[in-house]
Amino acid sequence: MLSPERLALPDYEYLAQRHVLTYMEDAVCQLLENKEDISQYGIARFFTEYFNSVCQGTHILFREFSFIQATPHNRASFLRAFWRCFRTVGKNGDLLTMREYHCLLQLLCPDFPLELTQKAARIVLMDDAMDCLMSFSDFLFAFQIQFYYSEFLESVAAIYQDLLAGKNPNTVIVPTSSSGQHRQRPALGEASTLEGVEASLFYQCLENLCDRHKYSCPPPALVKEVLSNVQRLTFYGFLVALSKHHGINQALGALPDKGDLMHDPAMDEELERLLAQVPGLVNSATANPEAGCLPSRTPPRVGSPWRPLHHARKVDAESDGSTEETDESET
Amino acid sequence: MKTTMSSLSAFGDSSIQTPSKSRIRQGCHSAGPNVSGDHINLASSSMPSFPILQRSSEEKILYSDRLTLERQKLTVCPIIDGEEHLRLLNFQHNFITRIQNISNLQRLIFLDLYDNQIEEISGLSTLRSLRVLLLGKNRIKKISNLENLKSLDVLDLHGNQITKIENVSHLCDLRVLNLARNLLSHVDNLNGLDSLTELNLRHNQITFVRDVDNLPCLQRLFLSFNNISTFESVCCLADSSSLSDITFDGNPIAQESWYKHTILQNMMQLRQLDMKRVTEEERRMASIVAKKEEEKKRESHKQSLLKEKKRLTINNVARKWDLQQHRIPNIAPNQDRKVSDSPQDPSQLHGSTVSAFPEETGSLDSGLTSALQGLSVTDTHLVEVDGDTLSLYGSGALESLDRNWSVQTAGMVTTVSFTFIEFDEIVQVLPKLKIKFPNSLHLKFKETNLVMLQQFNALAQLRHVDQLTIDPQGNPVVNFTLWKYYVLFRLSHFSMQKINGTEVTQNDMIMAERLFGILAHVASSELPQYRLISILGDARKKQFRYLLETKGKKPGLVNEENSDSKRLVGENTNRATLNYTTRDFYNERLEEIKEKKKFCKMYMEDLVKEATEINMKNEALQKLWPQMFIELVRDAVIEIRNKSSYMKLCLQQITDQK
Repeated sequence: MLSPERLALPDYEYLAQRHVLTYMEDAVCQLLENKEDISQYGIARFFTEYFNSVCQGTHILFREFSFIQATPHNRASFLRAFWRCFRTVGKNGDLLTMREYHCLLQLLCPDFPLELTQKAARIVLMDDAMDCLMSFSDFLFAFQIQFYYSEFLESVAAIYQDLLAGKNPNTVIVPTSSSGQHRQRPALGEASTLEGVEASLFYQCLENLCDRHKYSCPPPALVKEVLSNVQRLTFYGFLVALSKHHGINQALGALPDKGDLMHDPAMDEELERLLAQVPGLVNSATANPEAGCLPSRTPPRVGSPWRPLHHARKVDAESDGSTEETDESET
Repeated sequence: MKTTMSSLSAFGDSSIQTPSKSRIRQGCHSAGPNVSGDHINLASSSMPSFPILQRSSEEKILYSDRLTLERQKLTVCPIIDGEEHLRLLNFQHNFITRIQNISNLQRLIFLDLYDNQIEEISGLSTLRSLRVLLLGKNRIKKISNLENLKSLDVLDLHGNQITKIENVSHLCDLRVLNLARNLLSHVDNLNGLDSLTELNLRHNQITFVRDVDNLPCLQRLFLSFNNISTFESVCCLADSSSLSDITFDGNPIAQESWYKHTILQNMMQLRQLDMKRVTEEERRMASIVAKKEEEKKRESHKQSLLKEKKRLTINNVARKWDLQQHRIPNIAPNQDRKVSDSPQDPSQLHGSTVSAFPEETGSLDSGLTSALQGLSVTDTHLVEVDGDTLSLYGSGALESLDRNWSVQTAGMVTTVSFTFIEFDEIVQVLPKLKIKFPNSLHLKFKETNLVMLQQFNALAQLRHVDQLTIDPQGNPVVNFTLWKYYVLFRLSHFSMQKINGTEVTQNDMIMAERLFGILAHVASSELPQYRLISILGDARKKQFRYLLETKGKKPGLVNEENSDSKRLVGENTNRATLNYTTRDFYNERLEEIKEKKKFCKMYMEDLVKEATEINMKNEALQKLWPQMFIELVRDAVIEIRNKSSYMKLCLQQITDQK
């Protein structure tokens, strides 16, 4: 836990990297917001609850978009919350349009921007017919990639455009033509007949990007895996491949595998309990006539700290027993 | 013919019909006269075509002024010699085709040519004293050549083929005009007949009557068996003060239900209708019925005016809405003005609105007012209460909820319909709606810009909603496949019966719960306590704020609010955290938070700085400490290397301290 590398970082950088300040600021802000209510039961308890909810991933519920986007952990928590809340919609088999998914997103985050949802939809639909229906799993995985790695994807898009136009940001321009240059500048006629860009070249640029990018990137090894399967690929082809890649999903840790997407036994149990109350729907809660102003709650689920669903961490080099909260994606 | 008889009594008692003892001499070419029983001698004349009439001198003396040539099978008028003082001449029942050879009879007062074959009125220009002219049952097609007959008293043209009344305006002494059984299609051109008291127009094809009010003496008008179907076509009769006797039987108008009282109402001067005396009772009934009809007409006119106003206003509101939604480009302002200047003066509009206020319903005739009570109608919005429905068009209409509604009216309203109003604006007045219209169970939304499922959360604050109708027009949210289930889920505590007209089944409820139940569970049990409080508290705070904004805070209200909040608690608590804040409020709140965020950031930065400084110092100390410690130990060891000198030093220090 107290690895020398961690302590080697200067203070600010360390705090920034772990986004500690973000959470602290937010906690203090929340405290200020609700000081009348919170002062009733103590500040210490407030902080406990706050950080517990951060651990459990429930801190992002009904929060504004700027907060949800602030840290990778928040993003992952949001994805997970979305999956948990609306898994039933997917299970029902309904195919929904982009706008409907956006509506559902807005139920959890009122000011979620439409552009993100649109971009996610574009991945699923390969930039075609934006009004098409999408299945829950397709959308969810595409959305995950788009939302979690949004900054990364923007840079990738820029790189892709450059490559398409024939400019390679990586190569050094040498007056004497080398084989590399020949490959970089195919005649325009060639480019139009072949779709997309060359995979290996693409990978080189991405590798550089991952190195110098301060935002989260997918693990380079996995990216290489994705790109090694094909000769050429288009931008959206690449994104689709990313979204469907199991390894990346696992690396992110927010969502279960595609096969398990509809399974959540704990929640299903809860749902059955709720459903059992439906026929006698007339005031299922009249059994709790509390005079207090606090709503009566079912005993809070002792939420275990949120762990990513897959513990297959041993593979990676950095298995120093670091807490589960840190993802490879954050390095 | 009987009427003519009675009016001719002035001429004396001798009946024309008795065969007179005259003789008609006949020309050789004419058919043999029927001289049986007659003393008519027709001698041949010098003119080959016309017979010459001669009478015996006894006859001349006996019946000096009258001559009857009835049924003589005459085909032409004979030449009548030596009878210049003749006053009555009878040519009935012959076959005469032209009126001729009587120009010399300039004293003629009575001329009877009934039942002949005359085709044209002519040959009468010298008969200036003629008073009675009987030309019934002929073949006359046109009234003409009567210019000189200024003393005419009776003109009988029945049974002819006359199509038009004309050339009679000079007959200012005419008292009886008989045009029955002709081909008249309308009646006009009656001016100048200043003495006319009887006009017989039976058995024609008359569809309208005009100019009768120009006949100052007309008392009897017979229009039986014509083609009159409305009173408007004979409306001039109402203006004739002299008319006392009229017949309409055999006309289509007589079959109408309103026939009798309409005639009686419009012609108060009538004494006989269709040959029956008009009783007082009938007159009274007629006036009552007419008054009722008038009222009804006025009322329906008012209603149609109101409807028109309403329609225009709604159109105006719709267009403003479309502009707002950027659906149509901004058109020239003068066109806008044209629409806003509805047919009536705006001041008049306001005037009419005041009178239609619900408090003053008592003054309106309950029998005639329909349930429609048009309320404030201005150009930009429309508020209307129609029995059990309150309809609001345009965002300005929301202000009307502040008005003092009578308890009765407000209590009757069970349906509230919103059109052309932004849903976000509606959300803000929902608390008011809850209070002012406690029985509203059915909400309808059309063109209200419902785009997010989240917006339905706002409806949860109402007391009870039984039915919900979201019109697809202008509400994109209806295009979502799951919208109904979400509504059922979020508003499950209402146990809604119908959505958009379709019944809600148990399966629907189950499906709704199945789809969104986990959302509710997550929203309630997984939120930290302080979030729950803040979200719920927020909602309640907002409600209080709205209530405070209404006129005065009544003490009774506070209790209600408490019980309300208790009920809110009692309802599905796990959904209570699913709220809807309108976009504006949300952004407002985010703005407010910005300041706090900035402060927090600064505060945290200070804390971090402090902490890092301390940490740095700590680390520096940690680095330096071993060295320092060694030096400390070394110093101490060096100091006490020489035990005796150290002891002396310590003692010295102690004494120095004293």
